[in-house]
Parts: sequence; C-alpha cells; structure tokens
Amino acid sequence: MARLTSATTRAGHPSRRYAGVTAVVAAAALALAACGSDDDDEGQAAAGDSGPVTLEFWGWVPDVEAAVEEWNQANPDIQVNFTRMTGDDGDKIPSAVDAGTGPDIAQMSQHQLPDYVINERVIDISEYVADAEDLFTESSWAAVEFADAIYGLPQDSGPAAMMYRTDIFDEHGIEVPATWDEYVEAGRKLQQADPDVYIGQFSPNEMGLWYQDMVQAGGSWFGIDGDSWTVSINDEAGRQVADKWQTLVDEELVKTVQMWTPEYWADINNGNIATITYAAWFPALLKENAADLTGQWAVAPGPVFEGSDAAGDTGGAVTAVMAGAEHPEAASAFITWLNSSEEGVDHLVTGGGIFPAAKIGLENEELVQPDEYFGGQEILEVYKEAALRVPGDNQEGPGYQLIQNDLLDGFAQVANGSTTFSEVLDEAQENTVQRLSDQGLSVK
Amino acid sequence: MSAATASTASRTRPRRRLRGGGGGGERTAPYVFLAPFVLLFIGFLVVPIGLAIWNSLHTVRRSGLGFGSASETVFTGLSNYTEALTDAEFLAGLGRVLLYGVVQVPVMLALALTLALLFDSAAVRFKRFLQLSVFLPYAVPAVVAALLWGFLYQPQVSPVVDVLRSLGADPDFLAPGTVLWSIANVTVWSVTGVNMIIIFSALQTVPRDIYEAARIDGAGEFRTALRIKIPMVAPAIILTALFSVIGTLQLFNEPMVMRSVTSNVSSEYTPNMMIFSTTTQGGNINLGSAMAILLGLVTFALSVAVSVASNRRGGKR
Repeated sequence: MARLTSATTRAGHPSRRYAGVTAVVAAAALALAACGSDDDDEGQAAAGDSGPVTLEFWGWVPDVEAAVEEWNQANPDIQVNFTRMTGDDGDKIPSAVDAGTGPDIAQMSQHQLPDYVINERVIDISEYVADAEDLFTESSWAAVEFADAIYGLPQDSGPAAMMYRTDIFDEHGIEVPATWDEYVEAGRKLQQADPDVYIGQFSPNEMGLWYQDMVQAGGSWFGIDGDSWTVSINDEAGRQVADKWQTLVDEELVKTVQMWTPEYWADINNGNIATITYAAWFPALLKENAADLTGQWAVAPGPVFEGSDAAGDTGGAVTAVMAGAEHPEAASAFITWLNSSEEGVDHLVTGGGIFPAAKIGLENEELVQPDEYFGGQEILEVYKEAALRVPGDNQEGPGYQLIQNDLLDGFAQVANGSTTFSEVLDEAQENTVQRLSDQGLSVK
Repeated sequence: MSAATASTASRTRPRRRLRGGGGGGERTAPYVFLAPFVLLFIGFLVVPIGLAIWNSLHTVRRSGLGFGSASETVFTGLSNYTEALTDAEFLAGLGRVLLYGVVQVPVMLALALTLALLFDSAAVRFKRFLQLSVFLPYAVPAVVAALLWGFLYQPQVSPVVDVLRSLGADPDFLAPGTVLWSIANVTVWSVTGVNMIIIFSALQTVPRDIYEAARIDGAGEFRTALRIKIPMVAPAIILTALFSVIGTLQLFNEPMVMRSVTSNVSSEYTPNMMIFSTTTQGGNINLGSAMAILLGLVTFALSVAVSVASNRRGGKR
C-alpha cells in the first residue's frame, strides 16, 4: 500500500497515469502469482503421499544456491527451490504467508521473529529440532526459543570487536583500550592531540551500535515471566550504556555522523575516526569502502564494561518454517542441515561470508585466514572468541522495529542536544509497554 | 459523463433504424468499454477503501504472550480514530506537511507560472531547449532525485557546500530546522517543470487576437501577462494547485530517502511515513487504516476547498 501511494507522491497529474499503469501491472502480477501458486499446490498435493516433496525457500545469503544444489542432489525426496530476496522483499513475506502463497522456509532477522510468532506466521518446530540446541552458540539459540517452543534455527550472529587504526594509535601513543573507561580516556587524548581525530562515531541512524552494547552490558529489552512479557529498555544495563554514550557525546569525543552515508566513508577515509566497534560482518564492508587504508587497521576485542568480560552482539539472522508449510518435518530437516551440518555451514561461511551461529562453524578453516587488509592478522579469531563470550540471556520480543524507531528518533534529538540518552530510553520503555498493552498482551 | 453517453445514444439511434433493427450489442458496448476501468476502479480503489474502513473500526486483541491462537479481531468503533487524533506525532506530522504545503506549493507554482509566461513571451531564445531543461527533472524518479540532492546536502561530499563555504557561508541543509525546506527544494526542482508545461499549454489556447486588442489599447508585455494571461489560465493554475496540495499531503519518498543521510527526519515525519511505520513495521493495520482514512479525509477536504475557491472566483467573472 505504501508503495502504491508513493507513486502519487509527486505533484502534477501525470502521476495519476502512472498509478493506473501500476494498477494494471499489479493486476497482471496477481494473475500470474495466482497461476504460479496453483501449480505449486498441485505439485505438493501430488507429492503428499509419496514421491519427492518440494520446499520453497526464501533467503539472501550470497551463494546459498550452492548449498541448496548440494542438498537437492543428496536428497531426491526433499527438493528445495531457492528464491533470492533483495531490497525490501522481507516486507512482503507477512502478506504472502497470510495469502497462503508464502514460502515454506524464510530467512529473517532474529529481531523480527517474535512478531512472526505472535501473528502465527511461523510454526513451532520443537518436535523436529529437539536435539539442535547444543549445535549452536548459547546466544544465537536464545533468539529462536520462546517459552519452551522453538520457532526456527539460528543461521548467523554478529559478535562485536573493535577495529582500530594502528597508525593513528602509534602516532599519538595510544594504548588499545580494554575497557570503556580506557576508551573514553583514549578519546580525550586523541582530541587533545588532534581535534580532527575522534575515537569513534555516534551514528543516530544505526541501531546495532546500541544493541551490541546493550547485549554486552547483560541487558535484554524483553523477558518472559510466566504468561507475561517484561520490558526493560531503561534498566540498569540500559543506563550503563546510556552513561557511556552520554559522556562520549557531551565531551564530543565521538564524531556524530550518519552511518553508511558518503559523508561517513569520507570520515573513515580521511582518518577522522580511529576505531569502529562493530559486528563480524562489518570488516568486509570496511575493506570495500576504505580500500586505501589497507594495512592500517587491526582488530582487538571490544572494550568491556568495568567488571565484565562479556562481548556484544548485534544479533543475526534465523531461518524459520512458515505457517502453511505442508511438510514442516522436511523443512526442519533442511534448515538443520543448512545451519548446523559441516557441509551446510561450510557453504554459508565460504560462499556466503556469514559469521556462523553453529558451533561447528567456528572451527571452519575459512575463519582462520590471515587478512592482508588488517596487516595479516587472523581477525576472525577475535570474533570467534567474542562469540563465545556473548551473554545467552538476551530475549527478543514483539515490536522491535518500533522500539528501533523510538530510540533512533530520540538519538537524533540527543545529537541536537535537545534530550539525553536516559530520557530517550524512558520514553521508549513507556511507548513499548503502551503498545504491547494496546494489543491486549500481558505486560508485567 | 452521463450527458455524453446520452448524446452518443441519440446519435446512433436513427442509424440503427436505417439498418433495420439490431440487437442490444450497441447498447452494451459502452459498458464493455467501461468494464476495464470499472473493474480496476472497484478492485484497486473501492474495495481497498472499504477494507481500510472495516479495518479501522476493528482491533486485534491478544492475550498473555500472544503465542498460540489467542488473537481475535473485535469491533472497537472509533477508538482507532481517537487514538490517531490524540497521537501528538501524527498531528505534528500533519501540521508539518501543511506548513510545507503552504510554502512549497505557492513557491513552486509562482516559479512554474513565471517560467510559463517567459516561454510564452517572445523574449526567450532557445525556447525548446530551455523548456526541455526545466521539464527534465520530472523524468527523474522521486527517489533518485532525493538521493542526488542528498549528496549535495552532505557537507564533506557536496560541491555546493564547498562553494558556499568559500564564500564565507556555512550552511547546514540537514539541520532540524532546515531539512524540511531542503526536502521542499527537491520537490520544487522535480515538479516545477511539469506544472510549467500544464500552464504553458493553457497559455497556448488563449486566442492571439486578445493580445492584439490589448496591445492596441496600449498594454505592455508585463501588463498583458498580469491582466490577461494570468486570468485566462487561472483554471490551469487551480488545477495544478489542487494536484500539488494532494501530493504535499502524501509526502513520502523524499523524506524517506533523506532519512538515510540525516536523522533529523524522524520515522514519523509525515503522515504517510507514520502510516508506514504503524502498519508495515509495527504490524498494526487497524490503527494504520484509521490514520490513512483520516489523511484521505483531510486531502478530500482541502481538494474541495480549492475547487470551491476556484468556482467562486469563476462566478465573479
């Protein structure tokens, strides 16, 4: 609906004509989709009793086609048909599932899973994957288990570590900070030495930067207490993270810049930002966007809060079996193979470049390659170590995207100096509790 | 439309008699031709609006953790509407697009009118080329236009900011107070051309002998424009104003794209963005539908106001 209305956003009447064309195209697409789904249904019905089962699988991991191909050759009875998701394709899964034309298996961010569960768009597969828990890291597993039911399997995770500019640290005699206090101190030193150099960045548009700190501080936005949700966005852990960021922003030790913008990469390339503490998937993007800085970076464990040795994590993706799937057992068998078998995970790691959620993946040789960009360091060693130190009690809950909107809208105001992180947390807490109660959910 | 159909019918009747009778084929023909429009109109406008109204009057109620089949859809009357109307962010967004419209629409129309008058006068050389240049931005999709301007607004990568800085100014196009006008600038750039073309073609239909009469009466170019051309093309100006107002209220693409370069465009910056975050992101189709209906009503009211104003104007003449 949003897309249709957006076609008429422009003033001036020819847009009307485009809207008409859109309608015709949409009608044609609907007709085609209807034909397509009929075929599928026939195929599945025929396969119901015996013969091969066909599963539709939507995902976005690069080169996962190779994994599907290997599975299909080894399992003639369970054939998987892969569809690559691009852009905003994730937004159409809910509608597709509701319309009965959704995939059997879909990849999604772990943050979105609870909304799928509440809207009954994924199914409980605990009877098929009962033994899978031990195959995954503790923190990744926490993302798929809700109140003793299992709604998918973890695929990757986003343990955090600190990338830092060795040349800048050397030039100004800065030690690699191990705690956030040392990090703040290093930030002060850098600013004194050169006002153009910041220890890090504050990006009001990037949720993961906050989320990983919250996880590291031992926080969890949600909890389950009996038959009720608990919401704790502004709890002790939240405050700890807020205090850290407030100091960094108040003293202007971090560069306030929108992440992913040309402006941001200009800051990185110009050496205005000395460290980036972020998830295991970030180094690949850094290499791509700051190729000239080869050999000037290294990776160290992310700084910790005083008295803790936990690592942060931005969360990863999961693969879930969708409502309406006619062969949940077969679907579960496939995702178990893909996400936790040696062959499946090898495809994900080597071809897909993901950081695996499966323990077996952490032993993958691809993860111990020296990296020229980081001066020959085996950087994934650092991330592997971090993955095992991520607290396992982070509970995902409903309405993640709206919490993200609340927080990021608030962070923009923090950047303008019109509010504080602490107040933003309070407001997000209040809004979230309100939204859950409005839906009739029980909140303690 | 009914008058047109009637006159066609009366014209065809004698012919049919000449041919010696004939079935209902010709009588049903208009309906057959209308069918594609009517079907799409019903399928993609009437039904969705009906569905939106139904959704807006209901609420999904869950219980406990919301897991299992615990949800039911209940009739809740106008409660979604009260919730939308008491939501400070929704009202702020509505106020924001109205403020934006009050500035952007007149500025854009004044530009479009001025350009149309210039192209209509003999004073402009390379008319075809310049007309095309003014129109061309309209061919750039809104999202691409916003991306392009997004580059020009970012201090470290923008040549515009570079030049302004070397002149001693230090503009911040993305600050909380200025970003709305930076977005307005994108839409002005995009749509001035097409509105110029509409007004320009209206100017082409003005009989040339009126200008001659004006010239004989001693009116100069400027006076002719002010007293003759503008009143003659007033219907076109009102038409463009109407579409611009509608476009303004539905502002979505440009601010959505600007969000990627600045956080000063919040997730609920305009009513359409708020509807997007409520439904697509938040999954609350019921509240989102109520907001969409309210936005539709405001748009309808403003459209009526613009056409009533134009009718009254026409009546005086």
